[in-house]
Amino acid sequence: MNANKEKRKGGIILQVATLFAIGILATGLITFISQHARSDANVRLQAEVRSAEIANEVDLAVREYPAYRWLLNYWYEHSGEMKIEYDVDYSTGTLTEDRYQTFIGRNPGVQLKYLGVNELAKLSEEDRELYAEICYTWLLSRINQIKQIYHIDYLFCVLTDEPYDSQFFLFSGADPGSVRGTNYEEVYPLGVVVQVSESQQEAMKSACEHESHLASAGGYVDYYSFLCSIGEHRILIGLTYSLAGLSADIDAETWRGTSFAIIYQVTLSLLCLVMIYLFVLSPLRKVQKNIRLYKNTKDSEQIEKNLADVDPHNEIGQLSEDVIDLAKELDQHIERIGAITAEKERIGAELTLASQIQASMIPHVFPPFPDRHEFELFAVMDPAKEVGGDFYDFFLIDDDHLCLVIADVSGKGIPGALFMMISAVILRSCAMLGRGAAEILTKTNEGICSNNQAEMFVTAWVGILELSTGKLTAANAGHEYPALKRADGSFALFKDKHGLVIGAMPDIRYREYELQLEPGDKLFVYTDGVPEASDAENKMFGTQRMLDALNGAPEASPEQLLRQVHRAVDEFVKDAQQFDDLTMLCVEYKGRKQA
Amino acid sequence: MLNIIKNMEKDTACFALEGRLDTVTAPLLESELKEALPSLSVLTLDFAKLEYISSAGLRVLLSAHKAMAGHGSMKLIHVNETVMEIFEVTGFSEILTIE
Repeated sequence: MNANKEKRKGGIILQVATLFAIGILATGLITFISQHARSDANVRLQAEVRSAEIANEVDLAVREYPAYRWLLNYWYEHSGEMKIEYDVDYSTGTLTEDRYQTFIGRNPGVQLKYLGVNELAKLSEEDRELYAEICYTWLLSRINQIKQIYHIDYLFCVLTDEPYDSQFFLFSGADPGSVRGTNYEEVYPLGVVVQVSESQQEAMKSACEHESHLASAGGYVDYYSFLCSIGEHRILIGLTYSLAGLSADIDAETWRGTSFAIIYQVTLSLLCLVMIYLFVLSPLRKVQKNIRLYKNTKDSEQIEKNLADVDPHNEIGQLSEDVIDLAKELDQHIERIGAITAEKERIGAELTLASQIQASMIPHVFPPFPDRHEFELFAVMDPAKEVGGDFYDFFLIDDDHLCLVIADVSGKGIPGALFMMISAVILRSCAMLGRGAAEILTKTNEGICSNNQAEMFVTAWVGILELSTGKLTAANAGHEYPALKRADGSFALFKDKHGLVIGAMPDIRYREYELQLEPGDKLFVYTDGVPEASDAENKMFGTQRMLDALNGAPEASPEQLLRQVHRAVDEFVKDAQQFDDLTMLCVEYKGRKQA
Repeated sequence: MLNIIKNMEKDTACFALEGRLDTVTAPLLESELKEALPSLSVLTLDFAKLEYISSAGLRVLLSAHKAMAGHGSMKLIHVNETVMEIFEVTGFSEILTIE
């Protein structure tokens, strides 16, 4: 239990931290994806700009020659006849240098590079050829330069016609040392014609119509830019370069963005956790600690003092105030309960005392008259509550007369007990005056009716046994029928004459009857608690079961007979609560033995 | 358990009791009667469905009987054998009007 409590301590921080961690991971992932997409787009844009720049440079290099259209057309038409020196090395002196000198010698004062179309027309056929060949070499050098500067895989210029399904190579840039030829990975020389794939055809068509076209696939960028038209022919600048370098840029940019987002998130999360700890967890723990303290000490003033510095303006503060209020109320409640408990204990003690008084009022020592052998007598009183409304009584009025009383007050608990005490006292007083059974009841009724504001009543059976003869004079005021057993028979109800219960109406005259008991005869009287004892289903024990219990061993002593009936009742009601008092009295007449 | 079905008409009332009239249920009947009695001149208690009556129930009947004796009458009808036996044993059959 304690271990669990300790475990729970780090709970909220851990839960929030876990949530934050998941949040950070999710943010990182989303940032990564979006950054990657953005970087990719950036790089593509850069690629396009760069490609356009390169193409533009080539474009400018071509247009430096005023007669570039003528040149391009010448190269196309005389591709097979031209004596071209590719990829010259200027440091060692070149054939082109010599040919330039030849041209200058024949046409002094002419600036070869800037010859216009009109001036060309004035030149001889031979010089025009020389001009075309020198310009080709010069331009190619420039193209090679551009290619090398920009690290382009391929940089070339082609001539094409609708439907753009083939390329006529005009010139291609090469790196120093690369081989010119038509084989794989060789740089195409002038005049090579290549059939193109459909995608390239599309790209070229697009470039012809929209001036430029960029397509990137498989880590390469393909770019076509429209240079000019010569008649039906279209001249295009093409370039191809690898994206590998650019990919590295994309990755770097993506990672930079992502890690920045994660660092930002982690910082924010830590700040949040610290705030939660300071403003929530720490005061909450304080409140919790004080609740536990209160649990142990029940000192609401102490916890009020301890919790005084919890900020009262937020929920924790309100909680703290509520806890203090609750503790105070609990204190008051405990105090009240204490008083109530003390009161209850006092009442309990008084009830016990009352019950003792009640029990001591009726004879409870058995055998009651050890030196009297004419009869044997036993009685029990088992109240449903601490004090009961039933009672039995017996006493010797004089040496020869035994008075037996059994009575049942119409109420239980303290009112019943009080009423019972009065009734018992009056009954006994009347009996001691030596009156007959009926007169005892009549007088008792008068006594009780004279001041019976509670409108309670009591049923009673009174019998006076003349010990010398066995003559029983009895009267019944609304009480249960006695059970009688003759010496040679079994117990049976004796349906005696009944009068009204005592206390119901004034001026009732009771009648008495006589019964001759022979030695061995037994008389059993009881209160309604016996036949009306109910089981869980509200079924009543009844007089028949009572008689059966008595007749189980009819020859037993009065004490055993009562125990027998009690046991039978207990077995019958089982778990049902005993609701009514259980009071019984049994007397066996033995007769006066001759000494 | 006790059900009381009341049927009142001016100064005449019929209370049909159903179940057990014992220590637990007697106060219920007592309060019902206390409320109705002063304005009644004829009170009829129908015991057709009454299974059992204890001394607490008898006390309520006795109070009602005494109260009604001053300004009217009270009678019991359809009293079954079990309850009748209790009335006879306790002597109540002598003072109550049972039809």
